[in-house]
Amino acid sequence: MLIQAQQLEKIVDTSEGKLQILQPINVSINAGETVAIVGASGSGKSTLLSLLAGLDLATAGDVLIENEKLSELDEEQRAKVRADKIGFIFQQFLLVPSLTALENVMLPAELAGHKGAEKEARELLAKVGLADRWHHYPNQLSGGEQQRVAIARAFVGQPKILFADEPTGNLDTHTGEKVEQLLFDLNKDYGTTLIMVTHDNQLAEKCQRVLRMDAGKLTEATQDVA
Amino acid sequence: MWHKISFRLLKQELKRGELTIMALAIILSVTAVLSLSLFSERLQSGLLERSSEFLAADRVLSSRRDIPQEWLDEAQGRDIQTAWRVVFNSMAFANDSLQLIDVKAVSDGYPLRGELRVAEQPFVEGEVARGLPEPGEAWVASSLFQALQIELGDSIEVGNSEFKVTKVVTYEPDVGFSVFTDSPNVIIRYSQLEQTGLIQPGSRVRYNVLMAGSQQALADYERWLLPRLNDDTHSWRSIEDGDSPLARSLNRAERFMMLASLLGVVLAATAVAVAAQRYCQRNYDVVAIFKTLGASRQQIRRIFILHLLLLTALSVGIGMILGWLVQSFVIDWVAQQLDAELPGASWKPYALAAATGVISAVMFTLYPLFRLVEIPPLRVLHRQLVGAQAVRWLQWLLSGGTIYALLVLYSQQWWLSTALFAGGAFAALLLLGIGRLLIRASRQAGMQAGSAWRLAMAGLQRRAAANSVQMLAFSTAIMLLLLVIVLRNDLLADWQRQLPEDAPNYFALNIAEEKVPELQAMFERENIRSTDQYPIVPGRVTYHNGERLLAEVTKEDREAQQEQEQGREGFGRELSMTWRDTLPPNNDIVAGSWWGEDAEPQVSVELNAAERLDIQVGDELTFNIGGEEFTVPVTSLREADWSTLQPNFYMIFNTATLKDFPATYITSFHLDEERKDELYQLFRPFPEASLIDLDAIIDQIREVIAQVSLAILFVLVLVIIAGSLVLIAQVQASMDERQKELVILRTLGAPGKLLSRSITYEFLVLGAISGFIATIAMDIALLILQTQAFGMDATWHWRLWLVGPLSGAIIVGVLGRLSCARLIRRNTAQLIRKLA
Repeated sequence: MLIQAQQLEKIVDTSEGKLQILQPINVSINAGETVAIVGASGSGKSTLLSLLAGLDLATAGDVLIENEKLSELDEEQRAKVRADKIGFIFQQFLLVPSLTALENVMLPAELAGHKGAEKEARELLAKVGLADRWHHYPNQLSGGEQQRVAIARAFVGQPKILFADEPTGNLDTHTGEKVEQLLFDLNKDYGTTLIMVTHDNQLAEKCQRVLRMDAGKLTEATQDVA
Repeated sequence: MWHKISFRLLKQELKRGELTIMALAIILSVTAVLSLSLFSERLQSGLLERSSEFLAADRVLSSRRDIPQEWLDEAQGRDIQTAWRVVFNSMAFANDSLQLIDVKAVSDGYPLRGELRVAEQPFVEGEVARGLPEPGEAWVASSLFQALQIELGDSIEVGNSEFKVTKVVTYEPDVGFSVFTDSPNVIIRYSQLEQTGLIQPGSRVRYNVLMAGSQQALADYERWLLPRLNDDTHSWRSIEDGDSPLARSLNRAERFMMLASLLGVVLAATAVAVAAQRYCQRNYDVVAIFKTLGASRQQIRRIFILHLLLLTALSVGIGMILGWLVQSFVIDWVAQQLDAELPGASWKPYALAAATGVISAVMFTLYPLFRLVEIPPLRVLHRQLVGAQAVRWLQWLLSGGTIYALLVLYSQQWWLSTALFAGGAFAALLLLGIGRLLIRASRQAGMQAGSAWRLAMAGLQRRAAANSVQMLAFSTAIMLLLLVIVLRNDLLADWQRQLPEDAPNYFALNIAEEKVPELQAMFERENIRSTDQYPIVPGRVTYHNGERLLAEVTKEDREAQQEQEQGREGFGRELSMTWRDTLPPNNDIVAGSWWGEDAEPQVSVELNAAERLDIQVGDELTFNIGGEEFTVPVTSLREADWSTLQPNFYMIFNTATLKDFPATYITSFHLDEERKDELYQLFRPFPEASLIDLDAIIDQIREVIAQVSLAILFVLVLVIIAGSLVLIAQVQASMDERQKELVILRTLGAPGKLLSRSITYEFLVLGAISGFIATIAMDIALLILQTQAFGMDATWHWRLWLVGPLSGAIIVGVLGRLSCARLIRRNTAQLIRKLA
């Protein structure tokens, strides 16, 4: 078992009192699985993703990554877990604007202290079809190209888990499809576990498992989608 | 690995111009501090060197007794040049005439600073003298030729010796400003002193050792010497001591330079502070991404601290080069303008400038950097998250502490820094409050106006908190700018007033009463402008409220006198006293009142003299004039302006008191340079009159003032640049927020014209309010500075009450509009993409 969520809850304080964003959630994800989390806006998908990835802490319950309890780790240790095991792709691409495509891709490997970051980054850029655009800054690239850089960055250092938050949400249909294809191809090549938040059912169908989020409750929905 | 990321970020951000404002702010602070301190150090030592001519040395050790030779040896051992100048009164005889003279016995090397000028006939421009009079020879002042009716080559008797007059002295650098005590000077060699037989035990002699050398050597020697001095007998002087017009101008100029530079430093530091805040804010998202990708806090901290240090080092380096270039250009230019060479500077300005850059960059970035490290990774999903809010007072404490530290570092004066800082902090709080109130008021007004105005006022109101801080920066910048400009003008005007173009350049003394009408007629006939004629009666103050005042002030005199009689210290010399019906120009009554006509006998005392002898209005003073004693009440105390080259008097009586005593008259007049040759002829009918030529002194003062004016202009330019940078940095800082608003308004279909107008209006109002606040603050600050720091009369600057808000509105409006121009030109899609 690569990732496990046990009785995972998230409650936040608002001006109108406490708001339960996630009902107790239990879910297990095996290594190499591709999992989609679908649901309407505000259903709690992104919150779940942030908890599973250790970007945020749960109010109750726990997340285990390779049997390591995230709640028992401090922020620094969680950062270490992310550096070693996790890659990210976001709807907003979130590239560092002042770094070139190549430097953006190298970043996670360098932060993790990997040697040969540049070589690996160049190979990945070639795989996403941007070998000749390596020296361009994010604002010199189209949305699709930026997301391809983000995908290359996500795979650098060969993480075990890849979290993708609406990876095609900001792209037109045609570009979106190309980016999806690239994501799944690379995922297959690297044997990464993919956990993707999306409200796009078609995209979700491409995953082995689909989990549905509804008002903070998570249900297994693989059969529904299929 | 982290250092690679740091380097890379720096390189790319520099290339993309994202660090421009931050780098510029640091560069500017370093450039400003370096060029200012280099410039002022070099100029000051130049000025000092130049003004040291008035002492004929860098330092003068004076004594009423002979000075031990070992003190001279010690100085020479420290590479300090020395020369003797022994001065005493005596009588000169020639052609059966007798004249009181000042003998000046000088040794080789005199004058150590400045030059002695001599001529072959009296009252002409002289040439620089080579050497000194040979033994048996004397060089004498022009007026002695007149008084003794002698010619070049004649002999005069002084004491037991006879001296052949071989040159006319036309200019002595150390002639001083004292009009009344100066009799014509006779210069002889120090080695001849003994044979004149004039120096006997108890003679009134002033022994002076002139010294010149490097500042360091003099300072070291001073440390050695001071413990050995006896306050009663010795005095140790530099040109900056004393009450001469030059010393005052110099001190005032120095204070101004210091103050203006301090304000420049504060402005530059403010620019760094504003830029540092924005520098960190821009990196919030970057840090969130880094953390998401697994960066630890330590990595983040290291990456950004190194990034900042690299940026600082680079900027400090550029600032140093620029600062050096700027000052060397300016120095060259100044030197050219003044036809003078300015000495080099020490290493201190470089250290000071580098320290200023590093301290302001590091200290102002510390708090924002602290916040940066606290940015949570979750910000990648929720953009509004900024992490733990550290205590706000920490930022105020750090920024305040840094500015204070910079002030102290730069001025090396605790009291000045503390006063400036406390005043500034108080003003800042006040400005913050007033700013918010005015913004609220303008919102009300804006509601009544058209849509661009409404949008602008809504914008102002929405950003009220940010705007009042922004306004504080605007106001501070505008205020400091106005302050420096106004102060400069006032200072120059004040100097100009002291020394107008047609300032009297001659004093004529010893004019007999019956010759006064003739002299006046001569002035009118020859079209020479002269001042009032003052009668002079020499006399002594002998009793104060019945208590005996001693005639001499030195220790041995006092001891001698105390054996004979009881009493306390008096003036110690004969005073020149006058009478008048009206208060002389440049005098102000500070206690009591001036008399009317036909008043009873009474006296008005100059304030410094009154303070020295503890004289109050209503006290009684007894005077001895020519053996006759009389007692009169003190009815007023006067403050006299000693910085003007006008006759001033310690004691002024009403006419009734003195008019029956025999008096001579003094007047001053202006004679054009080209008419100097006529002087001898013009004064032939007045052989008893003595003339004192002030031209050389006036020229030197003018020259010093010219140098200082240039220096002030330079400081002003730097302060203006620093001020503009603060304004630009501040406008830039609000850009991100504005960008978001523009996107929304643009998307909703607001026309570009409306947007650009509303932005312009918003900045115009912000600028006008800032300008208004700045004017109030400036006028109050000026009032305090003029009266407390510069000893000038306080003046209100009503014109600025219009100029302040207007210029504030225009400058801020234009800067704001220009900074936003690019944003407005972008189309909506570009804007959205830039935000994404």
